[in-house]
Amino acid sequence: MSSPTVSTKKRLILMLFVVSIAMFALIGRIGYFQIVRGDELKRRALEQWTRDIPIEPKRGIIYDRNGKKLAISVSTDTVWCNPAEINKKKAKDIAKDLSNILEIDQDILYKKITKRQSSTLIKRWIEKEEADKIRNLNIRGIEVVSDNKRYYPLGNFASHILGFTNVDNEGQYGVEKTYNKYLTGIPGRWIKTVDGRQKELPYNNEKIYEPEDGLGVVLTLDETIQHFAEKSALEALVKNKAKNVSIIVMQPKTGDILALANKPDYDPNDKTKLLFDPKTPWMPLNEQEMKYWEDVPWNQKEKLVYDSWRNFPVNDFYEPGSTFKIITAAAGLEENVVSPDSQFYCDGYVQQVKGARIKCWRYYNPHGSQSFVEGAQNSCNEVFVEVGLRLGQEKMYKYVKGFGFGEKTGIDLTGEASGIVNSPENMREVNLATVSFGQGISVTPLQLITGVSAVANGGNLMEPRIVKQLVDNKGNVKKTFEPKKKRRVISEETSDTLLNILESVVSEGTGKKAYVRGYKVGGKTGTAQKVIDGRYASGKYIASFMAVAPTDDPEIAVLVVIDEPSNGIYYGGQIAAPVAGQVIKDSLNYLNIKPDFKESKDNNESTGYVVIPDVRNKTITEAGKILSQLGLEYSTETLDVQKNTIIIDQVPFPGTKVKRGSMIDLFVNTKYERDNTVIVPNLTGKNYKEVTNMLDNLSLRYKLEGEGIVTNQKPNAGTKVDYNSLIEVKFDNANHD
Amino acid sequence: MSKKRASDFTLMIATILLVFIGIIMVFSSSFPEAFHKLDDGYYFLKKQVIYSIIGFFVMLFFLNFNYWTLKKLSKPIFIVCIGLTALLFTPLGTEFNGAKRWVNFGFFTFMPSEAIKLGSIIFLTSFLSKGNKRIRNIKKGVLPALIIIGLSCGLILIQKDLSTSATLGLTLVTILFIAGMKIYQLAFLALMGGALGTIAVISEEYRMQRIMSFTDPFAYFTGAGWQVAQSLYALGSGGLFGVGLGQSRQKFFYIPEPYNDFIFSIIGEELGFIGCVTVILLLLLIIWRGIRIALNSKDAFGCLLASGIVALITIQSMIHIAVVTSSIPPTGIPLPFVSFGGTSLLVFMSSIGMLLNISRYTELDRS
Repeated sequence: MSSPTVSTKKRLILMLFVVSIAMFALIGRIGYFQIVRGDELKRRALEQWTRDIPIEPKRGIIYDRNGKKLAISVSTDTVWCNPAEINKKKAKDIAKDLSNILEIDQDILYKKITKRQSSTLIKRWIEKEEADKIRNLNIRGIEVVSDNKRYYPLGNFASHILGFTNVDNEGQYGVEKTYNKYLTGIPGRWIKTVDGRQKELPYNNEKIYEPEDGLGVVLTLDETIQHFAEKSALEALVKNKAKNVSIIVMQPKTGDILALANKPDYDPNDKTKLLFDPKTPWMPLNEQEMKYWEDVPWNQKEKLVYDSWRNFPVNDFYEPGSTFKIITAAAGLEENVVSPDSQFYCDGYVQQVKGARIKCWRYYNPHGSQSFVEGAQNSCNEVFVEVGLRLGQEKMYKYVKGFGFGEKTGIDLTGEASGIVNSPENMREVNLATVSFGQGISVTPLQLITGVSAVANGGNLMEPRIVKQLVDNKGNVKKTFEPKKKRRVISEETSDTLLNILESVVSEGTGKKAYVRGYKVGGKTGTAQKVIDGRYASGKYIASFMAVAPTDDPEIAVLVVIDEPSNGIYYGGQIAAPVAGQVIKDSLNYLNIKPDFKESKDNNESTGYVVIPDVRNKTITEAGKILSQLGLEYSTETLDVQKNTIIIDQVPFPGTKVKRGSMIDLFVNTKYERDNTVIVPNLTGKNYKEVTNMLDNLSLRYKLEGEGIVTNQKPNAGTKVDYNSLIEVKFDNANHD
Repeated sequence: MSKKRASDFTLMIATILLVFIGIIMVFSSSFPEAFHKLDDGYYFLKKQVIYSIIGFFVMLFFLNFNYWTLKKLSKPIFIVCIGLTALLFTPLGTEFNGAKRWVNFGFFTFMPSEAIKLGSIIFLTSFLSKGNKRIRNIKKGVLPALIIIGLSCGLILIQKDLSTSATLGLTLVTILFIAGMKIYQLAFLALMGGALGTIAVISEEYRMQRIMSFTDPFAYFTGAGWQVAQSLYALGSGGLFGVGLGQSRQKFFYIPEPYNDFIFSIIGEELGFIGCVTVILLLLLIIWRGIRIALNSKDAFGCLLASGIVALITIQSMIHIAVVTSSIPPTGIPLPFVSFGGTSLLVFMSSIGMLLNISRYTELDRS
């Protein structure tokens, strides 16, 4: 038996020595990670275990004044990725799987899930089916989280007021933006610790901080009235081939916006989709055309889309034209420079202002001697220039500013414009003269209706109110915004006087087409040439009608603005007034304001029937005289007519029997456009008066035979015919009585 | 033969303490996986307890088994080891996690590679102790010894277990060093080994990446560095005192098979730096007592066998701890006495039994 050598023993001791050093080195290494870098590693480990998932609060609901929901939040799912946890070797397969489910390009997905970033958004608001599929794949690093999406149940309804949110549910436009801080709420958090398979750890560290939902916003808007306004705006847009039609309905006493409609518009659920043809903005796109525009590159349609978001009555200003005469009249009456009975004489030309050629719109057939009230009914420029001159620059300016022009109304909507008002120092006499009838001043439609509301409510300028209340999700009122009176502008007497004058404009004057049977409607027409790049653009007009009803206790003010009508007629009294009349009729009925038919009786009694003469191929001066003698009103489709301009067409046609005082449209440039068709109504059972009313409204000629009620008509009801077609109607007494 | 005395009590206590810590840590670290995969959170605990009890009796058996008999039986033992390896290629061979390293005896699955470790140590030391200074002779000593080493490592290498093979290789070469092999020959051997290793690494890119990953495991977080990075998270969150027994989070599917090759990280997380140092000190105690037994052994076989056993325990422990602390390239080696594994536990406890038996024939202060 051999014994261990000396060298073996030496080497064993060496080994013990080396091993001890190595072991203590390892202890040092452990200490380095556990103590020196302990906190850092612990923090990183904690990050790895902890899932801090934000819980989005539900965005507040937007209601109309009666509690109908206009904007709501719905729950959907969103896919997130935590790239640090993605298995790099499998990233390609993961991208492929996700690509199949979400229909996103595989390469884009691959880049997203391999990014050096803590959390990446893969896709927002996916379908429930897609969410289930992804959850089933159970991929490490891919998470499906519930969140909220904004939804506008009525689509392109009141979209310019509601506005919209971006993908992060932040308000970008409209009330969504101006009331964003109330609507948003406070996000909650869901903190949990998970194991390596992303399942919750059994240590009960889960913490949920509940989100606080956003407050609901109650608008002053009335869904029903908004519907009336939108419907009328769309009809006016299509009928007049206009670029834009805006209708505002305001409650004069409070300044509440009851409706604010704009056509063309957009759908906030899909705000980049065009709904109207950009080249012919009065034509709604069909599905196929929408698809075409969907594929147009963004940079080519960007401006068009932004334009569709523009809220014309708040964001843009225009020269109001004759509707502004209400303000001139209010100032004149309040300052006692004029009374309803003051006498004026119109000779066609304004003589008082030297060096300027200001004409009355009907200079070729001057109004002659007339009272102030008649001047208003005739919308005679000379009368209002005289009133303006009597007021002088300082006082005119005082009232213009007093009624809120040249400054923002303070409405809680985005991008309000303040318009352009010259200060008295810069207001030469000629400016004063033109401002008196609404030229040389720029106002927003909202400023105009707010100013006229002051006239209507007894003289107080209100701040337009769009939001009435804030409510929590249980319906408790959290905050109420009271109507805000800015200042008194005119006295109650002036207000009463002016309302009566405005009523006569509708019952007797240029505003006839806004007449609503049974209601006292006051109003003023307006037709203004558009100013583009500082010049009056030829052939481009803005037709408007400013109405108040009922005049003895105004409940609503309605402003209709038709921008660039291109279907032949562009007189406010011709195309805007009937729209205003329709909205007033619908709204007052809905608001349960009882009509008073006695009041309107004498209006009918005084009228007889006249047969329209043929004034074609006559000069406008001759035609005007003939029609005036027969007690008929008339207007031309354009403002700039010469004395010897020849009439080339007229509507209704010669030979038609109409009520005395009816409006005859005279055409000097173009023939009446007949490419529009109408559907013949069912007249059976109607009496004489009803038939003439209906057919007049549709611009159809008629041949009436017999007496009693309609028994036969040709063509039959439902037939499509051109405007101005002849309808033969037979009446019979047989079944009568 | 000198008179039999009492064995080294300190060594025995240290071993039992480590095995005890092992049982607790295997239970704690295996619970989540056992619960989720096998529906029985106590699965690994039950097995480890049974192996520990068997291991204790095996240790007692070898404590009383005259180690000289081992020298006589060294050849048959080695042949049995080869035979067990051969069983892997019969239907008894069992695959787990893609590697065929187990022989299934029905009541017990056995890892031949663990047996080869001890068998080859016994075979090599008995060969080296046959003639004095045999190792100083190239033809009669060095070359046959290298063949034994090559054969032993080869038996493990055919099971595609590179890390175990390397561990054993290192252990056996250490024995050559202790036995007195010339330094220049050892240096030549180291050079050869180094060159071979380098070629092996360069030839396969994934190996290179794996090797480099230990320098900054977080840079290879989702790939080769994942396990080590998770191990460092475990150590870091343990801190000085640990998160408390049973409270590890990293054992929840962040560290794969935490009861095996990464059990030391879980010790670090649950018991902290204090726990880690305790385990290392216990290991050092075993190593110190083992070397002392070797030093005091009266015969070359006893001395070399003790050295070999100590070398195996030392090298395997250090590799395990070094991997867990990201000090060397990542590889999978269980921690002796502590990690889960029946064969491993039996082999290590047998070897402690042999050490204890050798200690009975030495002049030791056994206090």
